[in-house]
Amino acid sequence: MSTLKIKEHFGHEERHKDTTTVFGFFVYLMTDLVLFASLFAVYAVLYQNTAGGPKGSDIFVLPFVLTQTLILLASSLTCGLALLCAKKGSIRGVVSLLSITLVLGGAFLFMELYEFGKFIQEGYGPHVSGFLSAYFTLVGTHGVHIFAGLLFGTILIVSLVHSGFTRGNLRKLALFTLFWHFLDLVWIFIFSFVYLGAFI
Amino acid sequence: MNTQTYFEDIEMLPKEDSVGMLAYCAGFIASLALTLVAYFQVVQQSITGTTLLLAVALLASVQFFIQVTCFLHLRTNKSSREMLAVFCFSLFITGILIIGSMWIMWSLNARMMPGDIEMRAYMERQTGI
Repeated sequence: MSTLKIKEHFGHEERHKDTTTVFGFFVYLMTDLVLFASLFAVYAVLYQNTAGGPKGSDIFVLPFVLTQTLILLASSLTCGLALLCAKKGSIRGVVSLLSITLVLGGAFLFMELYEFGKFIQEGYGPHVSGFLSAYFTLVGTHGVHIFAGLLFGTILIVSLVHSGFTRGNLRKLALFTLFWHFLDLVWIFIFSFVYLGAFI
Repeated sequence: MNTQTYFEDIEMLPKEDSVGMLAYCAGFIASLALTLVAYFQVVQQSITGTTLLLAVALLASVQFFIQVTCFLHLRTNKSSREMLAVFCFSLFITGILIIGSMWIMWSLNARMMPGDIEMRAYMERQTGI
């Protein structure tokens, strides 16, 4: 085999490996979807069990949650645009768009923690009723994922600034966008069924 | 590293930049519109009850599929068929899990102790109070 052919062959192998990595990560996301599905099932079963505590419609503030939703949706867009920027080869574009994504994600998480803090201060902690336990578990699990995404994104930005568009960084970027879009997907249902559903 | 071809090779982005851009913007605008429609339907309560719940569920599902195609770039072409298979299977499991749990638990609830009023009526019948 000539050197060129070996190189070609090797390049093909590497690409194949990255496609497999993306596929594997996608499979992980789908198992995560099943995790969220079980938490949604728990919520669907328990949301009427308020045990003398508040109902969803007593404590949720819809404009606040709508703001959260729009922030997360906007961050999903900027994260997708970062991927497009990476394709064009603009490192500054990628880093700035990813930073916007992380700032929006941080704002989202901050609002969620503020909401949790407010509920607990008013005496509506997760120990009050089945409904609140299920609510805190479902929304909290999503929040933990957002936090993991923020860590992932920060590491990605640092390594992009440090070593530019290496294969590893491009792969990480691809996985990060998948992860972030997935979190927005889950939030659609939390927004629709947990928050809007409480007022139906 | 050639960033131009990399994302095409791993099938994260379409070949044309304009197509990718269009997908993201269209997905974003559609999601925004669907979110706002669902929100204002619930706030204004122009329809109520089961109809409203079904409407919100429908809007959420449409938004879900829009984001899956526009943001996650899940396609039905041959090379991403494995992804699609995993995706459909997960949706199937999700459906069984959620609908199955609700079905079992609600049926269980319905067969549990009768409510306060029925219980009192039953006791009165039995003891002649």
